[in-house]
Amino acid sequence: MKLLRKTHRMFKLHRIFIKQDLKKLMEYKIDFLTGAVGMLLTQIINIFFLSVIFSNIPDLDGYTFGQIIFIYGFALIPKAIDHLFFDNLWAIGYFIIRKGDFDKYLTRPVSTLFAVTVEKFQVDAFGELLVGILLLGWSIPQLTLNISALNIFLFIIAIFFATFIYTGVKLITSSIAFWTKRSGHIIYMFYMINDFAKYPTTIYNKAVRAVVTYIVPFAFTAFFPASYFIIGGNPWYNIGGTVVMSVILMAVGIFIWNKGVTAYESAGS
Amino acid sequence: MTRFVSTCHLLAVINRKTKLTEKEMKKLIYVENLKKEFKKTIKDPGLKGSIKSFFKPKNEIITAVKDISFHVDKGEVLGFIGPNGAGKSTVIKMLTGILTPTSGRCEINGKIPYKNRKNYVKEIGVVFGQRTQLWWDLALRETYTVLKEIYEVDDESYKKRMAFLNEVLELDDFITSPVRTLSLGQRMRADIAASLLHSPKVLFLDEPTIGLDVVVKDNIRKAIKAINSEENTTVILTTHDLQDVEDLCGRIVMIDKGSKVFDGKISDLKSRYGSSRELKFIPENPDSVKSLDFNKEFNLKSEDMAYENDGVTFSVRFNNDKIGVEKLLNYILSKTHVKDINVSDADIEEIIKGIYRSEVKLDA
Repeated sequence: MKLLRKTHRMFKLHRIFIKQDLKKLMEYKIDFLTGAVGMLLTQIINIFFLSVIFSNIPDLDGYTFGQIIFIYGFALIPKAIDHLFFDNLWAIGYFIIRKGDFDKYLTRPVSTLFAVTVEKFQVDAFGELLVGILLLGWSIPQLTLNISALNIFLFIIAIFFATFIYTGVKLITSSIAFWTKRSGHIIYMFYMINDFAKYPTTIYNKAVRAVVTYIVPFAFTAFFPASYFIIGGNPWYNIGGTVVMSVILMAVGIFIWNKGVTAYESAGS
Repeated sequence: MTRFVSTCHLLAVINRKTKLTEKEMKKLIYVENLKKEFKKTIKDPGLKGSIKSFFKPKNEIITAVKDISFHVDKGEVLGFIGPNGAGKSTVIKMLTGILTPTSGRCEINGKIPYKNRKNYVKEIGVVFGQRTQLWWDLALRETYTVLKEIYEVDDESYKKRMAFLNEVLELDDFITSPVRTLSLGQRMRADIAASLLHSPKVLFLDEPTIGLDVVVKDNIRKAIKAINSEENTTVILTTHDLQDVEDLCGRIVMIDKGSKVFDGKISDLKSRYGSSRELKFIPENPDSVKSLDFNKEFNLKSEDMAYENDGVTFSVRFNNDKIGVEKLLNYILSKTHVKDINVSDADIEEIIKGIYRSEVKLDA
């Protein structure tokens, strides 16, 4: 009952801020449109290059163009959802802690992590989400997929936990700022590794593959779960791995965050 | 404005009848041997220094708060004063659960701020005058809706509370505006209202009147008074404006360089350290003051006696322990005819200035 009330409250707060960010969108139209167009162009160029490559070679390490597009589209969805709800972690790394603005979250009777993330709803992420869904929609008819209730369920599970792999990586790296005051570039460095996850990891050398599988496990946000759907495989590894990695990263992230909060030094005023 | 003033007055009248007896008051805040150290990396100047310190960091421990103890009764308004960098904000941040003390103890209403933070902050309100706690792009009304949810205030209490805060702080004029468009005075009122929405037992105000004009300052003071008397809310405020202190605080704690240097009533401060007085007179003939030679007559050190002549008024600041008023007056009157004369106590500002410059020796 208490948990229910708590969740209800969380949703209510989310709603207020989401409404606010949508309103802001109308206010800063040009900013939003520029961002959206820029994002779209980036994705279009990426897809264009992929199609150029595939017009010259029939397949990439055994993967067809349709399969590559499926993985690519799959990768964008959890990334977009994380972007949508947990974007404020970047601000933690870049300036919230350095400027002492973290003070205000500590005077509220809610979890600091919730208070930080709830106040930003990153509307720009809708672009990525849209592109991801469109790419999946385009590629699915080209592939022979086994669309069953179980697989749809696994798909949702995979997307959900993959999202928290992104969040976990950002959480761990942004928490470093509690000690170093600033960790924006560290977040950026680790976050950008996700670029490798959009393609089959089998095309990389061993070192890169080990990094994206075990150290910064972005391979579990796209390639592993997606390849289960397109070529089959062991769901316990491909989907289960995503769940395990996501839980580990979030647990470590929350632990470091909480440690960081007690080490927080504020700033002079 | 008149409505604002009369409300406050009314509240004060109501309060006098319902004030708690001495026995019902309890100690609400205990602070014992509180200490806070910060680690600071020392860098040599320039890029070279930065690179060197990156590979071989040299750390230095800075003690912001050395050893501070005090306690506060329920319903008290405590002024927390001290020069810039004395450690006021650091103490407030420890009391509000933002910083974890290095050692020592603080307990507010039986709770330790940095442990069980979420539970504790429900009972306090915090305003930092230097930076808003509100959401920059949210309209003020929505800000309060968010806070209502965060603090779990029920609909009925919320309605009542908003009506009360509206009355005291006059929020109506700008409640639909986004926070970023508010003037500093409006923003401060909005911030204070936000900190009070959940009826906290203790209100922490860190420089609530900073940068405000005289009228707004006055309004904020009246509001603080009204809230303190209406609900017996304990208030701890830091300020550099001594008018705030004189108007609001029954008691002050003064700190300097991380240590407490005074704890008591303002009148105590005045009677203990305020032996300094000022005598002002307007001579009938401005030239006649030339015959006055205080140095020769009394032979006092400059800290015990100083004088100033702006062409019209002649003023002498003197230490009452070293020289009596009568003696001084007699001397002046024997040398010159005066149109007007006035002797006054040095004001609190003068005393504090003296303490900050450590002219006045403290033994608190």
